Formats: sequence, structure tokens, C-alpha cells
Amino acid sequence: MDPNELEKITTALEQESTLREKLRDASSDLEKGTRVMMAALMAIHSTPKTEMPALLETIVPVRETCKAPMAVIAELVPPNQYWRWKDIYGRHVQNFVFVVALCEYLSSHKLSSLQDISDALDLKSEWHDRVHVQVEDYLHGVVSVVNELSRLAVNSVTMGDFEEPFKIHTFVSDVFTGFSMLNLKNDTLRKRFDGLKYDLKKIEEVVYDLSVRKLGPSKSAVLP
Amino acid sequence: MVIESREDIVRVFDVFRAGIDERNDRRERIIKLSREITIQSKRVIFLIHRTVTDDNQSTISPDETPYQKAAKTAHGKLLHIKKSFILPLKAELISEADYWENQRSVTPGIQEFIEAVSYYHYFETDRLITHHEMEGWLTDESGNPILPLPYSEFLLGLSDLTGELMRFAITAIARGGGRAKSESVSEFVRRCNSDFERFTPFVRDLWKKQQVTRQSVLKIEQANYTVRLRSAEFQSDPQDIDRLVQRTMLQQEPPYHRRDLDTEGDDYMNT
Repeated sequence: MDPNELEKITTALEQESTLREKLRDASSDLEKGTRVMMAALMAIHSTPKTEMPALLETIVPVRETCKAPMAVIAELVPPNQYWRWKDIYGRHVQNFVFVVALCEYLSSHKLSSLQDISDALDLKSEWHDRVHVQVEDYLHGVVSVVNELSRLAVNSVTMGDFEEPFKIHTFVSDVFTGFSMLNLKNDTLRKRFDGLKYDLKKIEEVVYDLSVRKLGPSKSAVLP
Repeated sequence: MVIESREDIVRVFDVFRAGIDERNDRRERIIKLSREITIQSKRVIFLIHRTVTDDNQSTISPDETPYQKAAKTAHGKLLHIKKSFILPLKAELISEADYWENQRSVTPGIQEFIEAVSYYHYFETDRLITHHEMEGWLTDESGNPILPLPYSEFLLGLSDLTGELMRFAITAIARGGGRAKSESVSEFVRRCNSDFERFTPFVRDLWKKQQVTRQSVLKIEQANYTVRLRSAEFQSDPQDIDRLVQRTMLQQEPPYHRRDLDTEGDDYMNT
């Protein structure tokens, strides 16, 4: 290989590698934040309803710390190269979606939209070609929320909250309806979607157990 | 704005569905083109290989070496691949962002094409194609790039070239008259192999290809050793040496298969 060519390629590859390192650092900052929040949210399974708002409050400041790494990523990634670098931090974005959507459910019983997530990360629309929350990552996060809620359905009964499983049931059925509309290719998201029916089944069992014992809310709320 | 009701969810997921379907369809079309590029490029490589190792020298006109002949036929075929299968990629990969989104789908075809073009280029010019020259092959009539050519992609394609050239060198050395070319080719490959070594930390899977090349280099070195040793020992005429080398090459296990026909491309062909 011609020495100039060799030099040119080496320099370019070294620059790429430096960029990758910097992105990894930003990604790891993002991960720190999401891990802390996920750990804190594990407590929902033993937190009575009355104390839930206080628990969710503790998440908010950590959530704010996730904005900075995303701004760093937006700064680093060259124009049009979102897809080239997203694998470095995509997993943590999925976890972030999980955190935000779970908190939203716990406070309002509603589903966070993709836009909500972008807003929570303070993503600017003009960054779209460099960094954004991709639909699949959003969906992964939502699946994780459902996984978590099927567990919460069981544990809320244990804590004496007999209404929550019914709300979870409504929410999860709605989400499941949404997912059923998608034509997913054979990838991890597809596999995780296939697993959703077991979560739904588990929640239905809890709802059933409560219903036969007439422990739930009024009958009209039970039937979808 | 949170999603309020089941109707909202249906509406939102309907938009997701449209987006996902569109991207999947596009990916399918790209994979189809990429696969076609792979197949056609392999054919060109075979064609070059057959021509340059053609034992029946009478089919070749005296004023044209087999290398020139190979280069000439290959050139036309490569242009055809470009026109019929690479140019249509432009419609699928409109922006650079589209390229990066679908890189995994195009890469097998493009790498194979790089291999074929650089193989052709070597016999045409006796040197390694440059990144800039290769970019020229990925440019449309008006001079706009059809798709970007990252260095890593370029190097991975070239790395396959060295394997191909070694295959040529090994065939040529065992054949009367091919020894001089074989020597210059193996020297060329050695240089590439050492040049590429410094890139291995930066390019994923390059080290694997480097290892394959190294195996071939070892093999050709063994053959050169035999040639040198036997000719010193017996002072025999070239024809005897040809036979000896042929026998040595055959003894070496296992018979030399075309690696890339067996394994390469399987990972995406199955998806």
C-alpha cells in the first residue's frame, strides 16, 4: 500500500476509534443514571400505594442527569450517522424508556409516548440525524414495563391493594393490542413481544383470583 | 403528551406499523440487491481465476498475456454489475443516514464487489487499488457517490483480495511458467498482509481475515522452499521441478477449497 494511503487510512481509523471511546464514556454516564433509577424502582414491589409518590420523587433528579450524556452524544456523532453509533448506547436508552414509562404508569396509569421520552432526555428535533429515540428502542422499554407490571400485579395483592391488578390489566391489554398490530421481523423485539402473552396471562390469573372472591372493584370495571 | 386511551394506542401503533413495514420492505430490497452483487462478483472472480490459470495457452493470442485478457473481460462484467445492481441501491439509500441504517444489509455485496474490482485492478495495473479509485466504482454517471465507502469496509474487501491472490499464486507456482508471476504475487500479498496488520485493532473481524491470508502465505513459502531446495540439490531442469512442486502441493492437506463459497455470506443468506 502506498505510504500516503496508509497514513490517510490510519489517521481516519484512529479518529474513529477516539470518537468511539468518547461515545462509550457518554454511554456509561447514561448507564449509571439508568441503573440507579432501575434499582430504586425495584422497591415498587414492596411500597404501599400511599408511599409511591415519594418513591417516584426520588427518581426525578437522577432522571435529569441523563440529559447531559445525550447532549454529549449529539455533539459527538457526525451528521447523518445516528445508525452507525447507536449500538453503543441503545440499550441504555431502552432502559431509560422503561424507567420513564413505568413512572408514568405508576403516577397516571397512562402510557408515555415516544415524544415524552425524547422530552425527558431533552432531545432536540434538529439532532434527529445524530441522536433520537428509535421506535424499536421505545418498544423494548415498553415491553419491560409490562414484564414489571405482571410482577406488580401479584405483589400489590400481597400488599392488600386489590384494585391495582385491574388497572394493570386494562393497561397491559391496551398495550398488547397495540403490539399485535405490528409486523415484527424475527428479532429480539419479536421474541419479547411473544413473551408478552405470558405476562398478560399472569395478570389475568390475578384478576380472576380477585374476581371470584369478589375482592375487586365494582363488576363494571372488571370486564373490559 | 401521554397516550390516554386504547384508541390513542391503536392510533400511535398504527403509525409505528407503517414505519416499521416501510423499513423492513426497504431492507428486503437492499438484501436482494446485495445478494445479487455477491453472486455476480464471485462469478467475475472465478472468471479471472480461470483465465489467469488457464493451462491451455493456445487459446490466448500471442500479443496478450492471460492477465491482460482476464482484466479485459472482467472489466466489462464489473461495469455490468455496477450498472444493474449497485446503481439501483441509490434509490434505496437516498441519504447517508439510509446507508448507515442499512449498512449490515449492503455490506456483504459491497465487500465482494471490492474484492472482485481489486482483483481485476491488480492484474490490470500490478498494484493495489486505492480507496479513491474504489470510490470511483461506487459513483454514478454524474460523479455523485452511490453510497459511502468507509475505510473499514474497503479494508475488509481488500483482505479478501489477498486470499484470492494467494489462491492464484498457489495454483500458478505448481504450473509451468507461472512461477515468476507467483513470486511477485506472493510478495505483494506479504506486503498487504503486513500493511493491514496495523489496522486490525480498528476494524472488526479483520484479524480473522488476516489469519486466513497468513495461512496462504505460509503455504506458498513452503512451496518456494521446496523449489529452491530441489533445484539446488538436483540442478534439474524446470519441468522436473514443476512436477516436484505439484506433488508437494498435493501432499499438503487439505485440498484447497474456496473458503468463501463454503462459508462466506451464510450469515445473511439465512436471515
